[in-house]
Amino acid sequence: MVTESPKETGRRKAVSWIRDNRVVRSIFRRGYPDNDLDRAAVMFSNFFLHVLPARTHVHSLKPTYTWGLGIISLFLFVILLGTGSLLMFFYVPSTERAYSDMKDLQFVVSYGVVLRNLHRWAAHAMVAVVFLHMCRVFYTASYKAPREFNWVIGVLLWGATLMMSFTGYLLPWDQLAYWAITVGSSIASYPPLVGEYIRTLMLGGDTVGQNALIRFYVMHVIVLPGIMMILMGVHFWRIRKDGGLSRPPAPPAEAARGEAAAFSPHKTYMLVELAEGKTPMVDAQAPEEEVMSWPHTVFRMLVVFVGVVAVLSAVAYFFDAPLEELANPDHPPNPAKAPWYFLGLQEIVSYSALAGGVIVPAAAIIGLMTIPYVDRNPEGQGAWFTSAQGRRITLWSVVAVIPVVLVLTWLNEHYAVRILVPGASQIWVDLLNPGTILIALFAAGSLYTWRRTGSSRMGALALYSYFLTSYLIYTLIGLYFRGANWAWIWPWQATGLH
Amino acid sequence: MSASVDEQTPRRRMLLGLGWVSFLVSLLGPVLANVRFLFPNVVYEGESVLKLDSLEKYLVGSITFFADKKIVLFREKDGFRACTAVCPHLRCVISPFVGAPGASPDILRARCPCHGSTFDGRGQVLGGPAPRGLDFFRVTKSPDGRVVVDTRKVVAPSEHFKL
Repeated sequence: MVTESPKETGRRKAVSWIRDNRVVRSIFRRGYPDNDLDRAAVMFSNFFLHVLPARTHVHSLKPTYTWGLGIISLFLFVILLGTGSLLMFFYVPSTERAYSDMKDLQFVVSYGVVLRNLHRWAAHAMVAVVFLHMCRVFYTASYKAPREFNWVIGVLLWGATLMMSFTGYLLPWDQLAYWAITVGSSIASYPPLVGEYIRTLMLGGDTVGQNALIRFYVMHVIVLPGIMMILMGVHFWRIRKDGGLSRPPAPPAEAARGEAAAFSPHKTYMLVELAEGKTPMVDAQAPEEEVMSWPHTVFRMLVVFVGVVAVLSAVAYFFDAPLEELANPDHPPNPAKAPWYFLGLQEIVSYSALAGGVIVPAAAIIGLMTIPYVDRNPEGQGAWFTSAQGRRITLWSVVAVIPVVLVLTWLNEHYAVRILVPGASQIWVDLLNPGTILIALFAAGSLYTWRRTGSSRMGALALYSYFLTSYLIYTLIGLYFRGANWAWIWPWQATGLH
Repeated sequence: MSASVDEQTPRRRMLLGLGWVSFLVSLLGPVLANVRFLFPNVVYEGESVLKLDSLEKYLVGSITFFADKKIVLFREKDGFRACTAVCPHLRCVISPFVGAPGASPDILRARCPCHGSTFDGRGQVLGGPAPRGLDFFRVTKSPDGRVVVDTRKVVAPSEHFKL
């Protein structure tokens, strides 16, 4: 046996003193997990890791499968909780103080501007990443059985993310905030019968004022984060119960559950794994298809977290979150634009408030939620775009929507209902506008694809691609092609706000 | 409790059902009370009866735009008319009416900066997404000779307060 030098002995003793002393042991119980038994045990004994399985399927760790979008969403949420809690120490939700508190954060409070920037950019990033995550889950057909309901929870989380952004938007009490909420709450008054009640409930009155500010504040800092934390808990828990992330099904002979062939002779199974029969351990065909979650999953998550923090910090350092002048209830800015993720809807609202505020969002949410219950066959689970045919249909659906949307926009500019018939009844404006026409076209195109291919998955691929592409185009139109009085302009003609 | 036991004791089953129904009904009260709680009974949002300047300050043919009060006052040769300056589409404040002094209401134009709805001097929608026209309000005179606009009373766009 090789004898240690005194230096090495000293280092080993120092490490062991830090790692194995009574206090550290009392917290972590088992010491550093340097063998597979402890690596498995750490997942059971650590509260924060217990949501992870002891072993992870290698397919779930492929960066090109998940792009890490779900975990990035979680990290952004955590960053938003942290920065938001700190900002709350300097912000009073009163119409007299809110705006000057923002100015203080920018110019007086140490690192206030960085924290506000971090909070703002993390919020924008979360809206984008959650949406991309939904696209990933859709295009890999991960909403199929047994994950249908988890997809529904995901759609709710997307809606909650948008509501978080919307409620946070009012808090600075600047021009943009005031008029975006005036417009947004008025959109909420368009559903028949209940509309005006919803608006009163949102604003706590009839105008955007102190009552509205405190309501939006309470929603933003307590109610919505609480709802989101509960939904996220259920979302993650169901991933575990459904056997980890989706992946292509195992070959039939191996997958036959309850038969000896399904179980590897090289492993030991616990009762809990056999009870449900679909944990990652039972589904994996061979031990080499799975790896210990410590370190493989845990350290990948750590790297993603560090990456998210690094990128956000860089953006927050170089780009300041915008803040306009104090809210002025007498004059809306011209054009008055919603945040970018609502600009697509605002474009349709500019055709008809009922279409953009009620019909299109309701169709999108209901359509998204019902997809897993309509497209029921297990086809394509765990594979991007299902098949070569699916890839082709996705591509052509995207390509086909672009000219359709552009032609409808052009027609609306020159031959809208009220241009052909000045003073036409509102029913015709609500029924005949690009928003409602697109819904009809999308439904027809999707059903046609389903009929032609005989596959509901192909119909769903077409429908989702239509929705995604038109949403992006309308967002771009709202961002770059709309000027004063919401008139059409070219991006180089933009003169900024007012 | 298994189904067979239930079938043997219909009375117990009925009582159990009755218990469930009364439990759910009893929940209704607290739920409705909490929803009702969120609707304010009193709001402090400024006046709905607006007192403007004295009658003679407004010359015949003038159109006065009150951004803070969110109304527009027309002084025509037949008398006074007043309409809201809030767009019925999504409640943005419209731009002031443009047109030659003393022009007929049919020629006057106002636009909403938010989504481009256009209105004429009778409040009618000419273009854009507004679902209905601008509301016109009852105009009266106060004892001290000032113009009073009651925004709670909507009247026909042609109704004038005659002197």
